[in-house]
Amino acid sequence: MAKAVRPVKEAENRLIAFNQERDALCAEVKRRVMAARLAAAARGADQSLEYVLNDAAFHEIRRLESGLAASAEKKRLGDWRELARKLGTMPETEKRDRMEALVGEYCADVVGNFNERVYRFAKGVLPAVLAGVLTPQRLTEGISGMGDLPGKVVIDGPAEQLRACADRGTLVFVPTHSSNMDSVVFGWALDRIGLPPVTYGAGKNLFSNRFISYFMHNLGAYRVDRRLRHALYKDVLKEYSAVLLERGYHSLFFPGGTRSRSGGVERKLKLGLLGTALSAYQQGIRAGAPQRRIYVVPATINYAITLEAETLIDDYLAEEGKARYIIEDDEFSSLGRLYDFTRRILALDESVCIRFGSPLDPFGNAVGEGGESLDARGRELDPSRYVTDRDGIVLDDGQRDAEYTRGLAEEIVRAYRGLTVLMPTHLLARALFDRVTEKQRTRDVYRLLRLHTELEVPIETVRADIARLRDTLARRPELGGILPRYAAMQPGDLVNEALWAFGAYHSRPVAEREGERVVVRHLRLLTYYQNRTAHIGAADLDATQAQASETGAVA
Amino acid sequence: MRDSAIEPVGIVGLGAFGTALANVVATRGGRALLQGDDAATVAGVNEKRRNERRLPGVQLARGVRATTSIAELARETRLVVLAVPSTRAADVARLLGDVLDGRHLVVHAVGAFAGDRRLSEVIRAETCVKRIGALAGPALAPDLAEKRPSAMVVASPFDEVVAVARAALGAPPTLRVYGTRDLAGVELASAFSGALTVALGLADGLGVGAGPRAVLVTRAVAESARLGAAAGADEKTFHGLAGLGNLLVRSSSASSERSADYQAGLALARGEARRDTEGLRASRSAFLLARRLGVRVPIFEALHAVTWEGIPVDRAAARIVESAAAEE
Repeated sequence: MAKAVRPVKEAENRLIAFNQERDALCAEVKRRVMAARLAAAARGADQSLEYVLNDAAFHEIRRLESGLAASAEKKRLGDWRELARKLGTMPETEKRDRMEALVGEYCADVVGNFNERVYRFAKGVLPAVLAGVLTPQRLTEGISGMGDLPGKVVIDGPAEQLRACADRGTLVFVPTHSSNMDSVVFGWALDRIGLPPVTYGAGKNLFSNRFISYFMHNLGAYRVDRRLRHALYKDVLKEYSAVLLERGYHSLFFPGGTRSRSGGVERKLKLGLLGTALSAYQQGIRAGAPQRRIYVVPATINYAITLEAETLIDDYLAEEGKARYIIEDDEFSSLGRLYDFTRRILALDESVCIRFGSPLDPFGNAVGEGGESLDARGRELDPSRYVTDRDGIVLDDGQRDAEYTRGLAEEIVRAYRGLTVLMPTHLLARALFDRVTEKQRTRDVYRLLRLHTELEVPIETVRADIARLRDTLARRPELGGILPRYAAMQPGDLVNEALWAFGAYHSRPVAEREGERVVVRHLRLLTYYQNRTAHIGAADLDATQAQASETGAVA
Repeated sequence: MRDSAIEPVGIVGLGAFGTALANVVATRGGRALLQGDDAATVAGVNEKRRNERRLPGVQLARGVRATTSIAELARETRLVVLAVPSTRAADVARLLGDVLDGRHLVVHAVGAFAGDRRLSEVIRAETCVKRIGALAGPALAPDLAEKRPSAMVVASPFDEVVAVARAALGAPPTLRVYGTRDLAGVELASAFSGALTVALGLADGLGVGAGPRAVLVTRAVAESARLGAAAGADEKTFHGLAGLGNLLVRSSSASSERSADYQAGLALARGEARRDTEGLRASRSAFLLARRLGVRVPIFEALHAVTWEGIPVDRAAARIVESAAAEE
């Protein structure tokens, strides 16, 4: 098959048309959610309108009574209680009206906005946006203090292929998520490699900072209220995502759901939003446009140091933290802390790396240079066959689609591992953690935290372990990689880079050099950074050791 | 009798089981299209309604047809059953990859590993097909041919594959087809039962007696289930048709003469060299898997010790009987 020649150009910014379509998008989402719920209600039992409304009322009453809701929201408590009380005797028409009103309210709350002027402004003064500071005086300070941003942030990936796919279909970026900085940093990276801005679901708590909220609201973000757990709200979110994709709006979401508390690379993904890629593709076939493709693009966002690491790891380790699903108050919400972090991380060279992977189709198949779906042996295939009959008609099967999406999720998780970029901080943390746990004969962090002994490792051992880790990554690229400048560095210099980074930002250093040993000062943070390497098993490192011994013996 | 205008079931492989399965489908009123390279067998099926080479003495129903063309199979059928030896499975999957598309459903009836991989992994690597299943259980070709009541299980995470396979292949009372979503479990259980058949052949060759034999069967299934669960499967699957069912039939007196794995076990008991059978290869895969997952499997370890490490049988057997009994 002849390869299509695609001109290299900046991909079209489809979000420009978004505002004109907003009302139509909302109306379509509302229509679909209501149609699906009414059709399900006809089947009765726990799909009835009463059941769905009761589910919403139950969850909302519980949330509003819990004490975590804002006082303005608590005024709704009476309304919800009244609804719950009346549901048993409410006529069907009234149930339908109530549901429609709720769906309309959720749509209005969710829907985003795109302001091209704001977008151009933000692109031009990104350092200040990253700093989260926008008083005129701080603006000047911010820009002059940031230095050369492109030199600090490394971007890697198949840019030309992604631009070709952006022309042919709709892109859905699904990066790893470790910080609230991610969507801003990622948005900047997209622009740098000639990809269009995306619409994305940002947690509503991010909009609490008025200033950042202004930008998020005007850069295509739509609001996701993660406190709302009931099915009807999730219906609205999923349909909204699907409608956006069908209409060709390139999108971004974090399939891990929230920021990785442990620091590790995501292994289990949420399938709800991910499945909208497939439903949008099927809708395209139904609309007579099977060639309009949906491309899922895995990516990793890698930081030498993470802004919210202390809060996240504490939440992960704290037993009561399991119930605290949404962190409202952390380092990101403090402008001063945010500015300080940005200044420090950008002082480190190549301290942030965004790596884009090759796109996948909604079934998890690889995609070729021209946007065609490929099987495992690189042969072109027609993905519509997975969901149509002999005549090309889409066959509805929710269970089948759920399995396809599960397969897609597996491919994304596999891609994440290979796309992970480990920084010296991660390498040092892993080396220290392995030796400390070996010496203490436990990998149980809680037990280690109760120890009163100083945890230390001889510097020579640390250097050797870091070298072994690096060699493992060189041998096994499917486990991740490191930046070329670190691949060329001596292990001792990697240790120094890591120690410097560890000491540069967090409330106390993660580890420090004392003579010929490295001493652990912050075990929780050490755990956080070493968790980024958790997918690299002891057996992988042992294999490197064995190979090195063999080579040594031969020499 | 069913409407014979429904899509035929495609069966890749002209062996005894594939032919018998095709006959079951056709006898019930359906249609089956067998595919294989042997032109003479294909001609025999189409012209004389017999597969004398692999299923002698059986007159095949009218709904059975055969072809050498894999492209014709892909065109005419949607459900494709792979019934070939494990040593040929990867090559056949590769050929199928040239002709199948996303519309097809592939169910394999290869109760063994292909190298170190499960067959579903091979099919995924060699074709674009996503809707994959496995068919396993103690249904022997002679039993199907003689219409003796048999049962198998079809496994797939896709409910559609299970439903289509059950509808297409089920022909009670001759063949009842159960369903499950535990694809990994059915594949592992089936492959492990081949390895454990070798162990039973070895035990019988040593004349262990009925009691110890019963202990071996029971503990072997438990070990198999433990290992399978560690690999992500459902423990229950190993106590069902694909696990215990397969083990019992492969080591029974009725089929043991035909079973290469059982014969390999007897040969080991006689002190002969290791033979190359699916079960022996599976025993090595099981051993390596257990080591990787850190699962205790005394029977698999003993079998590996005898067949791959050259440990004398009595020493390997002593390790099993001396191992501590834990909670059952």
